Amino acid sequence: MEEEQSTKPDRQKTELFEREFMPHLEALYNFAFKLTFNEDDAKDLLQDTSMKAYRFIHSFAQGTNAKAWLFRIMKNSFINDYRKKSKAPGMVDYQEVEAYYDSGKGTSPRDITVDLRAETVRDKLGDEVTLALNSLTVDFRTVIILCDLEGFKYDEMAKILDIPIGTVRSRLHRARNMLKAKLAAYAAQMGYK
Amino acid sequence: MGKLMRWLGRTFGDKTKRCPEEEHCLELVRLMLDDESTQEDNDYVLKHIDGCYQCYDNYDVERAIREVVQKKGKNVKLPVEVVTEIRQKIEVAK
Repeated sequence: MEEEQSTKPDRQKTELFEREFMPHLEALYNFAFKLTFNEDDAKDLLQDTSMKAYRFIHSFAQGTNAKAWLFRIMKNSFINDYRKKSKAPGMVDYQEVEAYYDSGKGTSPRDITVDLRAETVRDKLGDEVTLALNSLTVDFRTVIILCDLEGFKYDEMAKILDIPIGTVRSRLHRARNMLKAKLAAYAAQMGYK
Repeated sequence: MGKLMRWLGRTFGDKTKRCPEEEHCLELVRLMLDDESTQEDNDYVLKHIDGCYQCYDNYDVERAIREVVQKKGKNVKLPVEVVTEIRQKIEVAK
């Protein structure tokens, strides 16, 4: 009887974990991979996030957004433990990109609009979009992933990232401009004007 | 008839002409596609892009990029053994 009472909370925790958190592991792993660019680091980050979620499961309010709660834990774990050691590829400096396009040397994102719609170009753009997205600095990359891939609302993103909604909105706007600028450069390079 | 004329204007009109509201409209287009805009903003955007080549193109490109990001983004499969390892670690942590 005594043993049953002591194990009951664990059983409840496990059931809650299975029900609320396990369905989001795939999305979390994708997020981890896009943050670290490394399979082993992504696995470690996912495991750390899962264990933290289990340990602090009492602070999760049932009925609230479990996915957002988990993404927030992962984002914090990444910043605290993984950001320095992750094997990030060459980053593109936002100021540098802006300066380039402001100087008039680059093609304006506005100039490739028609070509981006064409099916054939869109197919070719697939890998280029991935490369362009991956080359953004982690803060800009993250907002696009959270919004476009994971479908979070701005208020949820604000909670995950610990920033005001206005900052989410402006960061997303800048990130989209940078992504378009990179794709514009690619389209111009491919001969699309 | 009005709709047809707007379409003709948008399709065959002066494509080099820049819209003075382009920046503002682009922000609203993004909010609309993110489902974060008001009905009033949506009405404004839809009415505006119906007659503005530049902003219609921006709208189309924004949609196209989101489509590609969504299509290509979720391409990393979660290894089954990772799920097993997580369950094992939870068992140990109990």
